[in-house]
Amino acid sequence: MEIKAFEKMLLSVQKPGRYSGGEINSVVKDKSKVDVRFAFCFPDTYEIGMSHLGMKILYSQFNSREDIWCERVFAPWLDFEEVLRENNIPLFALESRDPIKDFDFIGFTLQYEMAYTNVLNMLDLAGLPLKSKDRKDLSPLVVAGGPCTCNSEPLADFIDLFFIGEGEEVDLEVIDLYKEFKKKGASKEEFLRAAAKIEGVYVPSLYKDEYNADGTLKALTPEDGVAPVVKKRIIKDLDKSYYPEKFVVPFIEIVHDRAVQEIFRGCIRGCRFCQAGFIYRPVREKSVDTINNQAKCLCESTGYDEISLSSLSTSDYREIEPLLNNLLEWTEDSHISLALPSLRIDNFSDELLEKIKHVRKSGLTFAPEAGTQRLRDVINKNLTEEEILTTCRTAFAGGYTSVKLYFMLGLPTETDEDLVGIAELGQRIVNAYYSMPEKPKGKSVNVSISVSTFVPKPFTPFQFEPQITLEEIRRRQELLKNSITTKKISLSYHDSATSFLEGAFARGDRRMGAVIEKAYKMGCKFDSWTECFEPEKWYEAFKECNLEPEFYANRTREYGEITPWEHIDVGVTKNFLVKENELAHQNKTTPNCREKCSACGANCYGEGVCFEKR
Amino acid sequence: MRNVRIFYKKKGSMKFVSHLDMNRFMSRLIAKSKIPVWYTEGFNQHIYMNFALPLSLGFEGLYEVLDIRLIDEDYSLDDVLTALKNVAVKDIEFVSVSEPVMQMKNIGFARYELEFEDFGFADALNQFLKQEQILCQKTGKKGKVKEIDLIPKIKSFEICEKGINLTLVAGSEDNLNPSLVMDTFFSQCEISPVYYTVARTMIYNKDGEEFI
Repeated sequence: MEIKAFEKMLLSVQKPGRYSGGEINSVVKDKSKVDVRFAFCFPDTYEIGMSHLGMKILYSQFNSREDIWCERVFAPWLDFEEVLRENNIPLFALESRDPIKDFDFIGFTLQYEMAYTNVLNMLDLAGLPLKSKDRKDLSPLVVAGGPCTCNSEPLADFIDLFFIGEGEEVDLEVIDLYKEFKKKGASKEEFLRAAAKIEGVYVPSLYKDEYNADGTLKALTPEDGVAPVVKKRIIKDLDKSYYPEKFVVPFIEIVHDRAVQEIFRGCIRGCRFCQAGFIYRPVREKSVDTINNQAKCLCESTGYDEISLSSLSTSDYREIEPLLNNLLEWTEDSHISLALPSLRIDNFSDELLEKIKHVRKSGLTFAPEAGTQRLRDVINKNLTEEEILTTCRTAFAGGYTSVKLYFMLGLPTETDEDLVGIAELGQRIVNAYYSMPEKPKGKSVNVSISVSTFVPKPFTPFQFEPQITLEEIRRRQELLKNSITTKKISLSYHDSATSFLEGAFARGDRRMGAVIEKAYKMGCKFDSWTECFEPEKWYEAFKECNLEPEFYANRTREYGEITPWEHIDVGVTKNFLVKENELAHQNKTTPNCREKCSACGANCYGEGVCFEKR
Repeated sequence: MRNVRIFYKKKGSMKFVSHLDMNRFMSRLIAKSKIPVWYTEGFNQHIYMNFALPLSLGFEGLYEVLDIRLIDEDYSLDDVLTALKNVAVKDIEFVSVSEPVMQMKNIGFARYELEFEDFGFADALNQFLKQEQILCQKTGKKGKVKEIDLIPKIKSFEICEKGINLTLVAGSEDNLNPSLVMDTFFSQCEISPVYYTVARTMIYNKDGEEFI
């Protein structure tokens, strides 16, 4: 593209920095000297995609190989899409501004279901047929990874190959195989069949779906010689695995505008609603030295003045105190602030507490998820009301005047009493504030309660559970709203239709592909953005495909039913999920991985928390 | 502690970086360069930076000026330039580093070179700028609209083959953006606006001397 024409185009849209490229640490290579060009696509805006750690890791790792040039692509915002379409400019990668349709790989990361129409839109903008079967050539291969691939079926018609699990190793194995097949002039079919033999690779076109009369899945049958089960890949030793020394540093402000240091993967807790808590098992930690060195390196290469520790539950890192001591040794002198998300400070030494006093504090947040102890036991959230109140009192004494609480509405077995419990817990925190003689003088307290709607996800003990209906979501939201009687508590909740459709996609089968395509053609995109989301179009699309979202979202699944993700093995067994589901209905909790092994199945990987000495 | 003045060019894709983003970008670049700079002391400590004149989104800047403060007396001006060059990105070019001579508050004018996609209106533009008075509406920082006369704010202009060079008042007290000149021209002369590029090529003090 001619530079002047490009600049003119950019100046006509909002936030041109989203599309201009050229950021600190972005990688530009000589395209004649690489064998494989990879377009790493994030199906949402630049600000969101650039905040994603997985993309940063894989971008740097791919580019660390001389023969691969990996570039970034984000979903253009509505105004830029219009400009692209008007001028017949196919979707391009940020670094080279070359059209991605000429790349070897177009790889999507699927982080949430509501981005699916953006995947289709980006393929269309690239000038490619949406369906895998209509793209006959070996390249570009359209591949996808990320947590949503644990139920890949809704996108099975569009994606040639899915990566199941962590990508650092399997992605490169597939790229290497591709290089070999490209050299010998193999066809797409030949390549896909060979790739399907790699552990962690799922090629949906090699499986045929059949349904029972009641609409449930009868079987997903592989072709001859294709594995009936695809096993998730994990990185066994995080100390030895690749971690970027550099991040691309954006010009425009993004959602998480800081260096991010991963400290471990997985979570010992086993909260029964949490997909991440199961699909990333087993827990694997990085050592204090590795974290410290990587963090220092990142800060030096990016110039960021803030670094955040990343994991599913920071306080569960076994050596959190030595780690913070090490980090604080150099961060303060370098004017770098340390962000410690989701950290419980109650069991820290006074000395360390004194030290992190200087750390810029993010707000005080808790995720009790449910309003009563009974329901917290059902979901296996081992957080007691006393713990919440004690920490709040400590924080209030330390000058905090606002607390944020996260809850879910519509959890299995939830009653109106549980909902009222949310308001009551909020009230008790308000009361705790006013009962303290040492509360900050002349200041009011603010408890903000954020309530999302529970969406049952694959590979959780709640995968069998019905999601409550749209009407019921609205009724319960109303009930909760009316239970709050003080202005000290502010309440916010999620859009009910978004949760409902997310519920349908999350456990959708392959037939859902037609619905997504239909909705996309009716104009749906950026469905997670309120200003773009049009649920009526989605309902219409379901109708035209003779499917009902309620079938996917609001139906109880028998333990014996074949799920659309039955052929994916994430380590955690279905037996374990069934057992956990039964315990939930008995209001019984399960100890965390470090207290007692509950034999979930993740020890099949031979690594991690399952083999820690205790 | 001493002030040093950095001269740099902001070109190509850096045009799309707004002034606010430029602040963040420069502070990261300086942190990365490990130059021993002074941090402001206060609740929110950050690298002390003083930009001579903000540059509008979409403009190139060929004479951009930024002051920082060094805390290490032994760190030379050459060291600063080398350190900056080591971390520069493609479209930021560090040109020189020197001791500040003039004060930022004495900035008076800036020169802009405008290049039009189609410059069929050269004569009309020439006539337009030769008027004794050009009244137009200017929206102030607080959204207040007031009527101003452009002529006293236009120090000089030259019509060239592809566009025009404008020297306009600039600085914290009074400032004229070339876009306002062009917008007014297009609307008052009823000419349909064409796309043009803008480069700010020089900054002057109130006496019209190059800003150093």
